[in-house]
Amino acid sequence: MGRRKSISVIFTAAVFIILEMAALAMLRSNGVLQQMWISKGVHAVSAEVWGRMESIRDYFSLRKANDELANENFVLSLELNRYREMTGTDLSGTVAGQADTAGGFRYVPATIVKMGNNSQHNYMIIGKGSEDGIVEDAGIITSKGALGIVDAVSRHYSYVISFWNSGISVSARIGRQGPVGPLSWDGRSSAGAILSEIPHHIEIEKGDTVFTSGYSSIFPPDIPLGVTGEWQVVNGATYRIRVHLFEDSAMLRYVTVVSNSGRKELEELENR
Amino acid sequence: MKTPQHFGLYYFLMAVVQIIICNFFHLSPYITLTILPVMVMSIPLNVGTVPAMLLAFVTGLAVDMFGEGLLGINTLALVPVAILRKPLIRMVFGEEVIEREETISIRKYGPIKMSIAILVVHTLFLVIYTAADGAGTRPFWFNAARVAASLVPGYVLSLIVSGVLLPDKRK
Repeated sequence: MGRRKSISVIFTAAVFIILEMAALAMLRSNGVLQQMWISKGVHAVSAEVWGRMESIRDYFSLRKANDELANENFVLSLELNRYREMTGTDLSGTVAGQADTAGGFRYVPATIVKMGNNSQHNYMIIGKGSEDGIVEDAGIITSKGALGIVDAVSRHYSYVISFWNSGISVSARIGRQGPVGPLSWDGRSSAGAILSEIPHHIEIEKGDTVFTSGYSSIFPPDIPLGVTGEWQVVNGATYRIRVHLFEDSAMLRYVTVVSNSGRKELEELENR
Repeated sequence: MKTPQHFGLYYFLMAVVQIIICNFFHLSPYITLTILPVMVMSIPLNVGTVPAMLLAFVTGLAVDMFGEGLLGINTLALVPVAILRKPLIRMVFGEEVIEREETISIRKYGPIKMSIAILVVHTLFLVIYTAADGAGTRPFWFNAARVAASLVPGYVLSLIVSGVLLPDKRK
């Protein structure tokens, strides 16, 4: 009797949820404000759910993460020792300012808790929010690429517009001293991008490394992004160069949030 | 079988009345005149919660489609009324009404109990409706004022509708 009642309650709740979801779907497709409102709610709920799932998964993968960190630490120590031997200098005591700040940029490590990877408007949700000092328009990077820009921030999570999105571009430079142009996703593969507006008179070679230029106030300079591939001349004036990205969006898990501490001042200066 | 005679026909006519209200009776853009919550509350008690929810969904959808307004908004607000119909009746009118599957009416249970039930279902409907209509763009006090302003004419209309849908056999 009790079991039958439980099944009846579950069935009623399921029908209720299905009917309400159907009503919300209709409402979402028929009102602009309602679409934004419902999307915001869906993002908040999915971020919370994925965040909790991620916490559980992280807990069970701590041992592996520890091993990886120990290995990385060992390799870094070796490199540091080699550097000391080569230069004869000791760098301890030369670090000034906050540990998470360098070159006017503040760095916060974060994990990706959800990633939308199947459309022209990809996004990711990271497990750090306003309580961790994340602000809107901060950049998302790894050692192998610029991955996106923070669009919205809640207390514990941030919604990031991914680089693999048709509406985003990153200011990039060929080599460390070369010409600069906007780099955007080619919309086809996760490793493909297009570097455009490179002046025609510049000599380019296939396989040149492309770095962030540092001209935007979002990303720091000299982050390697990818290597140049085929190119074509557009309107007889500029090159349009295919770039093979280093970072594979499918393999991403750990990222760094980078925010420019002088961004406000720069914007004020620009607006004068 | 305690279903009032011709309930289906009256229910259908009331849905048509609601569509007419939606299309032609605009007291103010911020006042929502509705009889849908009391219609769902009046569904006979021998009808289970799931069929009542489906009926509420179809009714809300029909009003959304044939009346002015956003598609899905009445549906969204009406289904919760259907799921809370039996618990509310149990709370206001007592367990016996549910067990005997009796018809509730003003004459049998008095205007106070009937008013409480109507006000609760109406408020529930209006809170969801107003929140969905505002979509988070309006302040709380504005939504609260809108619910209060819509509640008064809605309550009066609902009393009349309950008299039609829930007739007393002793009349």
